[in-house]
Amino acid sequence: MTENNNNDNNEAGADERVVGTPKDTTDVVTETSSHAEREHNGPYLASETHHHPEEQQRRGEKLASAWFIIAFLAGIGFLVSYFLFPPNAAGEPAIADPQIGQYSNLLLGGTLAIAMFGIGAGMTVWARNVMPHYEVASPYDELPSSEEEKSSFSEFFMKSADESGFTKRPLMRRTLIAAMLPLGLAPVVLLRDTGPVPGDLMKKTRWTDGMRMYAEGTHRHLRAEDLENDPYGMISALPALDDEGYPHGMSLTDQAKSVILLIKMPEEDWKPGMDQPVRKGSDETHMNWTHQGIVAYSKICTHVGCPAALYERTTHRILCPCHQSTFDASDAAKVIFGPAHRPLPQLPIGVDDEGYLVARGDFNEPTGPTFWEYAKD
Amino acid sequence: MSKTTQAPKALRGVGNFIDDRFHLAKTGEKNLRKVFPNHWSFMLGEIALYSFIILLLSGVFLTLWFKPSMTEIIYDGSYERLQGVPMSEAFASTLYIDFDVRGGFLMRQIHHWAALIFVASLVVHMLRVFFTGAFRKPREINWLIGIAIFGLAMVEGLFGYSLPDDLPSGMGVRILQGVMLALPLVGSYISMFLFGGEFPGEDIITRLYMLHVLLIPAILLALIVAHFMILWHQKHTQYPGTGRTDKTVVGTPMFPGFAVKAGGFFFFTFAVIAGLSALVQINPIHLFGPFTPTSITSGLQPDWYMGFMEGSLRIFPNWLDFTIPIGAGYPIMTAVLVPGLVIPGLIFGGLAMWPFIEQWITGDKSAHNVADRPRNAPVRTGLGVAGIVFYGVLWLAGSNDILSETFSIDLYVTTYIFRTLAILGPIIGFIVAKRICLGLQRRDREILEHGYESGTIQQLPSGEFIEVHKESSAETTHVLESKPVITSDALTEGTTDEKGVENPEARKGMGKLRRSLAHWYTKDNISFEGVEPHSGHHLHHGSDKDH
Amino acid sequence: MKWITARRRHPLAGYVVVILALALFGVGYASLAPTADQASAQTLSAEAPSPEDVDTAAGKAIFDQTCASCHGLDGSGSALNGPDLREVGSAAIDFQVSTGRMPSMDPDSQMPRKPMVMSEEDLANLIAYYDESIRTDGSGADVPYDVPGTPPKADDFEDQAAYEAAIEDYEAEYDSYIEGADDVDMGMKLYLTNCAHCHSWSGGGGALTDGRWAPEIHDSTPRQIYEAMVSGPGAMPMFSDGVIAPDEKQELISYVKTLQAEPNAGGIFDLERVGQVAEGFIGWTVGLTLIIACAIWITAKQRAHD
Repeated sequence: MTENNNNDNNEAGADERVVGTPKDTTDVVTETSSHAEREHNGPYLASETHHHPEEQQRRGEKLASAWFIIAFLAGIGFLVSYFLFPPNAAGEPAIADPQIGQYSNLLLGGTLAIAMFGIGAGMTVWARNVMPHYEVASPYDELPSSEEEKSSFSEFFMKSADESGFTKRPLMRRTLIAAMLPLGLAPVVLLRDTGPVPGDLMKKTRWTDGMRMYAEGTHRHLRAEDLENDPYGMISALPALDDEGYPHGMSLTDQAKSVILLIKMPEEDWKPGMDQPVRKGSDETHMNWTHQGIVAYSKICTHVGCPAALYERTTHRILCPCHQSTFDASDAAKVIFGPAHRPLPQLPIGVDDEGYLVARGDFNEPTGPTFWEYAKD
Repeated sequence: MSKTTQAPKALRGVGNFIDDRFHLAKTGEKNLRKVFPNHWSFMLGEIALYSFIILLLSGVFLTLWFKPSMTEIIYDGSYERLQGVPMSEAFASTLYIDFDVRGGFLMRQIHHWAALIFVASLVVHMLRVFFTGAFRKPREINWLIGIAIFGLAMVEGLFGYSLPDDLPSGMGVRILQGVMLALPLVGSYISMFLFGGEFPGEDIITRLYMLHVLLIPAILLALIVAHFMILWHQKHTQYPGTGRTDKTVVGTPMFPGFAVKAGGFFFFTFAVIAGLSALVQINPIHLFGPFTPTSITSGLQPDWYMGFMEGSLRIFPNWLDFTIPIGAGYPIMTAVLVPGLVIPGLIFGGLAMWPFIEQWITGDKSAHNVADRPRNAPVRTGLGVAGIVFYGVLWLAGSNDILSETFSIDLYVTTYIFRTLAILGPIIGFIVAKRICLGLQRRDREILEHGYESGTIQQLPSGEFIEVHKESSAETTHVLESKPVITSDALTEGTTDEKGVENPEARKGMGKLRRSLAHWYTKDNISFEGVEPHSGHHLHHGSDKDH
Repeated sequence: MKWITARRRHPLAGYVVVILALALFGVGYASLAPTADQASAQTLSAEAPSPEDVDTAAGKAIFDQTCASCHGLDGSGSALNGPDLREVGSAAIDFQVSTGRMPSMDPDSQMPRKPMVMSEEDLANLIAYYDESIRTDGSGADVPYDVPGTPPKADDFEDQAAYEAAIEDYEAEYDSYIEGADDVDMGMKLYLTNCAHCHSWSGGGGALTDGRWAPEIHDSTPRQIYEAMVSGPGAMPMFSDGVIAPDEKQELISYVKTLQAEPNAGGIFDLERVGQVAEGFIGWTVGLTLIIACAIWITAKQRAHD
């Protein structure tokens, strides 16, 4: 489309333009100018409306039409593309195969884009090469009303207001306002049933004493000896529930609270923080809650709740991939970097008579993002 | 052909039918004659308008099949790889759109690309308005409406992103809920009421769907209509130039020129979005897999417009967190609250307040229809650049893991770099931008006084070499001369009135603050006072001056 | 499903598709062109090499020359940053050598994947020597010979026919391993809950702390993925066969390999499957820029008299 854009190269004095300032504008016609001569029949009172020469207009017409024809063909192409991928004999659409889906998407989108671009380009050529071009001046409206208008309005308004008695009759006014108040509260009250009050809901999970666990995705109870070949093991696990109402044996809500990260490390790697009580005033230490070097932390970050699962066995860091809160798995999941407020809660674990890993109770603190009343009993 | 003055019969019939009922001939003509100044940067808002229309069209298409339900089902649809996987009906119906509805995949991608471009065009449009001072009286209300549109568009995008219930989208909702929970006192209540219980519950997608397809778009549409009507009523601002004043607008009239150009632009916008959707895969939810609250992926990011929130959540440290020592203790998590509330509050609040702050500082109560050249308001431009840098640093910080991996920088080091940059960057940005503005002003004065450097070197009879300066065009001279004087009546009105009585206003704290701000706002400026165009002594007219 | 077997995609495949698609559209279109099958050569024997086939003396020579300088002649490690090899198991040896990470000249930094330095035969000899003389009581994990491993190179074969037969064997083995997994849900769950937080949902890798990174696993063979899980290279934790059983590992590996082989239904450009950051970048740099270019065309100044 160079022929539309090369117009300032050969213009006399065009190279005088200072960068950052507008180019010489085209002639401006002032609609209100009284001496405008109507030399032509244009819609705007302008003495200098510049028609393109007929030859250029004809060229513009041809070019615009070419674009419109391209758009027309592409539009047909779009319709054809749609019917190219019908459902097959088995009733399955051809596009269910990702490779064919890609072709379908490319053809539909490509033809649509070409059709749209053709129309846009054609219209631009039309506006630039066929229509006469000029700029028109017109006044900005005077925005503030005149003083007379204002005072007339004000007088009218106050008189009418007085007549209504709204200011003069306070009893009526106040009772009306009072009548609105309870209704104003109604929408807020009506929203009460959108959900339960928090209560203790967020503080309890499905883990109970003696509950076994699955490696997430499998339905095989994990045993402590399953980890014997992993001096530096890790696995994401869920309580072994099999509620038939849910494909995974438990609701996503319960999964979100009770998912744990089982981590195994050699004894010499534990740090002194493990000997601290699991919560203030408790006899149990973090170390008591581990089993044969296996520790279970909540997988849900205490920052804003992403699964903090990025565990480096060499540094024992548990990193949350969302906001990079880092917890030290060898030091009671203490926060060592990033925005999290508190350590990951720990789940007490042990084994049952058959050697299966089990929880020995619930977490020491509520799991999930930290909230206002999390520490309250 | 163009000499027809009599409308064809059919058209006249329709026209008369309408006019008989609405009396529109006069108003109609007036509006068709409405003048729009020409400049590409005046079309940025149109991109937003058009992508919004594309969003509405493609969105309606998607609702024909989308099921906003979190009921868990076992997928048995046509997409082979995920057969047998438990997922929500929302995710399954999105797969249906992708793999069973012809053109469905394209429409989903058009919807997503249009959303990215919608918000991006809002931002560049807003920056254009800010840097040219087009928010000044009488357009402050339209500026506020624009800010509201920007804020709502972000929320609308976040909710839409959440609907397919794929892995990253569910994490977006999770982070939203985490931020909610951090609110002191009411956090857990708000979360419970919004989610109908604990996260994720079984209601959130249904509720977000209602907000995404009904409530927020309705408000957005109303605001966009209001924005456009106000623009129509007040007419568009224009850049300085011959004949362009605060009283007169110069440009292309609505009919026929501007209407055809704007119409063509709609098709261009659609073409680019459709082209992207045809070629570039976006948000491939079928590859991500369905959301579960226990899965996560590295490189998890929100769509770009939420990036600055994500970034501030990443880099704000927990050093300022504290616990209110009552009973078991109540945490105040500044590491969530500041990025989640304070930073967006600062950005949006600052944007919304700026027209009024600037007016208060300068005391300028007059109406402006000619846009400022950014260099002629150096402090405003500097502040704008500082804002861009601040936003940009937070935005980049939202992808620090990807930057860390791509450029092999220690992850924690990137955090420290971004923490530092978030504080220093805006300051440096302000200073640099302001200096550049002043430099450009100086050059403007130079050009005004001496003409422009022609690049022609001449040797004078004395042997001295000079560069020939040529006279700038009348248009350029006009633009340069039109530089407004930045001043404030806080500086001109003395601390005492003419009788020597101290002005009580000026002595109060606010008065003092206002005066020092006014001083800061106006002190650095290149004065054009007394500069006569082309009066400089070394203005040598070249012999080739033949035009 | 053809695309499952198209494991390797040529970098130019995308362009080929565009040209093909446009050409086909232009002539009115009869049928869809099949994707160029770019599956590259891979093979290896499915069983452990028998004792007659390996030469432990040659293995010792390789170990003493290339490994012992850091790991010590007895594999007990050294101060030169060579860890103790006696308990890591042969899976670790096979993983490190077959991915080209070992032998390394610069053991301080994290090693990227490279072409293997030694031949398959040398590696087999080395592993045999390791098992016989260095490994303590069979500790650590064995090489999972029943999982498809590294493809052979054409150079290892005398004639073309033998090479092609080997490829065919390998592909059959590969396909039966990948298609032998039928529980997508299990594979997906295992991958997304235990792997994706480092290696990303697409296997594209991700950032770790201290400048380390989790590598992308597009080029990893199923056997290498298996070995990485049981041996825990670098900072990666271990997933022994007790924690994730072999058939569960097969589901996991099949999930990620199938995902990686799948063509992008949404378009020929997948932005490396990086996701939202890349999408935002393209939205601004390509999308918005093109639209603004159109705006500039529409509003470009015109001469007054032309």
